[in-house]
Amino acid sequence: MIIADRKSLEEILDMIKDFKKILLVGCKGCVTVCNVGGAKEVGVLAATLKIARKKEGNPIEIDEKTLERQCDPEYVEQIRDIFDQYDAILSMACGVGPQFLSEAYPSQKFFPAVDTKFFGGAVQHGIWEERCAGCGTCVIHHYDGLCPIARCSKSLQHGPCGGSADGKCEIAKDVECIWDTIVKKKMEQGRLEDLRIIRAPKDWQTARDGGPRKSIREELVQ
Amino acid sequence: MHLKNKFDVGKFTILAEMQPPKGVNVSAMINSATRVRKAVDAFLVPEMGNAIMRMSALGGAMVLQSRGMETIMQVNCRDRNRIALQADLLAAYGCGIINIMGVSGEDPSLGDHHQTKAVHDIDLMTLFKAISTLQTGKDLAGNELSGAPEFLVGATVNARATGDELEKKLAEMEEKTEAGVDFFIAPPVFDLGTIAPFREKVDLKKTRIIPTVMLLKSVGMARYLTRHLNVTISQDLIKRLMRAPDKATESLSIATEIIAAVKEAGFAGVMISAMGWEDKLQKLLDRV
Repeated sequence: MIIADRKSLEEILDMIKDFKKILLVGCKGCVTVCNVGGAKEVGVLAATLKIARKKEGNPIEIDEKTLERQCDPEYVEQIRDIFDQYDAILSMACGVGPQFLSEAYPSQKFFPAVDTKFFGGAVQHGIWEERCAGCGTCVIHHYDGLCPIARCSKSLQHGPCGGSADGKCEIAKDVECIWDTIVKKKMEQGRLEDLRIIRAPKDWQTARDGGPRKSIREELVQ
Repeated sequence: MHLKNKFDVGKFTILAEMQPPKGVNVSAMINSATRVRKAVDAFLVPEMGNAIMRMSALGGAMVLQSRGMETIMQVNCRDRNRIALQADLLAAYGCGIINIMGVSGEDPSLGDHHQTKAVHDIDLMTLFKAISTLQTGKDLAGNELSGAPEFLVGATVNARATGDELEKKLAEMEEKTEAGVDFFIAPPVFDLGTIAPFREKVDLKKTRIIPTVMLLKSVGMARYLTRHLNVTISQDLIKRLMRAPDKATESLSIATEIIAAVKEAGFAGVMISAMGWEDKLQKLLDRV
């Protein structure tokens, strides 16, 4: 799923400093699962912002709402009757949410309360790690189910590089060298020879590098 | 006298595009440039235009610069990150290249290496900021440099714009000027009427605008330009080329006339794009 981190309070307060009444919208999708933008987090942020603004002597009114998904026009419609009652709307969804809201309600101002980071999953309660870079041409089967595009700092197709030491990436001690893991796995399975295949240079056209992307299910388009 | 001085004294400057080879055979480039070196004020060395891989602009410019010919080296945002861009700018200056032109760079899908990852670490405005920052003796990260380069900086401007689009382009030009751009090269013009709206809004004495004059090699080329590249070439001009017994000579005549018109209109100079006919440049410049 999409993992996001909440922006700092300072940054959020700065975004909304000129507003007296805002709507804080959460999302029951990815940001709920990674505990950053669901109904609970909406409640906590609303309370925190109200307290901070009261302290400044510049109180703010904050209404709360959490949509099933902000990336779905059906749910975005649910604030049609109320969206214009606010000076601005602060969204806790990933980057997709405020954009869908913004397109549906062009006369309103939308602000992101979170920084969207990566596609990943929970490795432990409270810890999420990146697993996929959305490169558009999945080849994890070449690497025994591990993705070097997302998990190698250099996205090497033939690793490891000289910076791999003790299973760690040269960029930081807490970053796993995925190539060390890939090589170990291949060795355990007696298939190290697989890694001697030289792959064709990566075609980045299917990644974001090839420009903004679209996915169409012909059979569903009316 | 360097290009900068020529601009300062108001000389009508002749620039010529000199594309590096797609390979290492630089003899054609050297020969074409050498033949016209006296008539050309500086050679514009493009950086992989249309995303087609060829010898880099730094290499191409050095080949000419090392033979005493002044160059304008293009840099684009598509192929290098900020570390490499600053590094190449320092290298350029260290090798005697004192004129730079910044462009965004066309998408790889237009060139011959479709699968490459375009870099775009920094965009064009940030690139101009990098160029001016280096000139203050610092890099983009704020580190002191051991010696600062001094560049004359160029950019493009779409002088064919009209209406709202023209207002946008004028604002862009102002932004680029504030970022340190000294001169602007405009796309190919065949009829000065197409850049009249632009001409009316710009003080040519204050802002150095240099339209491109492209050699029309064939009727086919003219049709391609009009149909696919949004270039206006009048039917009269196309007929003229079609009827001419010697297309090459007629092409040069057409170019000569356009250059004269550009000069008459008060532009700072002209940029000649020979499109593979670099060997005919001498003949053209003899007439100019």
